[in-house]
Amino acid sequence: MATLPQLIEADVRLFDEALTEFIGQTGAIGALVIDKGGFLLTHVGNLGDLDLTTLGALASGAFMASQTMAGLVNEKNFNSTYQQGEKFSLYILEVDEQCLLAIIFGAEAGLGLVKYYSSNAASRIAQQLAIAQKRDPANGFDLSALNVADSQALFRRKTI
Amino acid sequence: MAIINQATKELQVKIVYYGPAMGGKTTNLVQVHDHVQTTAGNKGKLVSLATSSDRTLFFDFLPIEAMTIKGFKTKFQLYTVPGQVIYNTTRQLVLRGVDGIVFVADSQFEKMPENVESFQNLMDNLAAQKLNLSEIPYVLQYNKRDLPNAAPIEYMDFLLNNREVQVPAFAGTAHKCEGVFESLNMITRMLLQKFINQPVPQYA
Repeated sequence: MATLPQLIEADVRLFDEALTEFIGQTGAIGALVIDKGGFLLTHVGNLGDLDLTTLGALASGAFMASQTMAGLVNEKNFNSTYQQGEKFSLYILEVDEQCLLAIIFGAEAGLGLVKYYSSNAASRIAQQLAIAQKRDPANGFDLSALNVADSQALFRRKTI
Repeated sequence: MAIINQATKELQVKIVYYGPAMGGKTTNLVQVHDHVQTTAGNKGKLVSLATSSDRTLFFDFLPIEAMTIKGFKTKFQLYTVPGQVIYNTTRQLVLRGVDGIVFVADSQFEKMPENVESFQNLMDNLAAQKLNLSEIPYVLQYNKRDLPNAAPIEYMDFLLNNREVQVPAFAGTAHKCEGVFESLNMITRMLLQKFINQPVPQYA
């Protein structure tokens, strides 16, 4: 399985720029870049108190389930899903092999508009992911300061 | 594999609780959710996509932010899979991007065939994603030790922990929160050890 590249500030900045532009074009409420494993990578918009971590996990699960259904009916092009609500709707589309773009938009924003501009945003994000993939991740992640022998400190049970 | 986001200074790790139906996977997450010590805002909601009879349909999901390593926030995402045989496709989906596994086995004698079958199913589903169990940190939890028909630990080790490299195994009684934190902390420790041994990290 291909892997998501290490993301640096420039990558996330470009993602955010693409999402901000998209929101300006469509009036969408918010947009999230999610890894297909369920991790939230970045988000832009007026999302208030929404639990974005859980939203990312569920959106990923819903999309992957939809793609599996596509496989069952021999369809290769289930690259987006759409849930329509009374006030808000959710549109999820595939960015590349690893990532998804989830968009929350209100009833006043048309799906056609969202679909049209989101493909451009997704394409920009995919290009940046490809750049990140090619980059040599020489600047590694140093966990040497962590005393893993004492990992009991990570999760402690509450004392009653 | 885990996601390391240098921009947001986050390390995101996915741990999946796997095992036969009704073995106690969801109970593990419920106990972690109910009893874990965290600072305010570091524990998310426990989300369960379950049937009306509380059997896991898709997955249970619990996000926890546990600690900081050199300025990095470490976000753990705990998932369970549905244990019922018919939900195999769903288990494959949940395994995507997995970093570590807690295999929750049912200690009751009559559940041994299901334990073995589920463990084999785990290996098959990993193989479908071109992953090998020997490359993924995992621990075993022998749950339901409080039941009178629990099989001896040695027997469960023989059935489930008889590979070239033995992994840590914990006796558990998840509904009393026994063995729950021990399993979680061990898999976390193994995961972080793996990162330390990988100077150039790999990503999901």
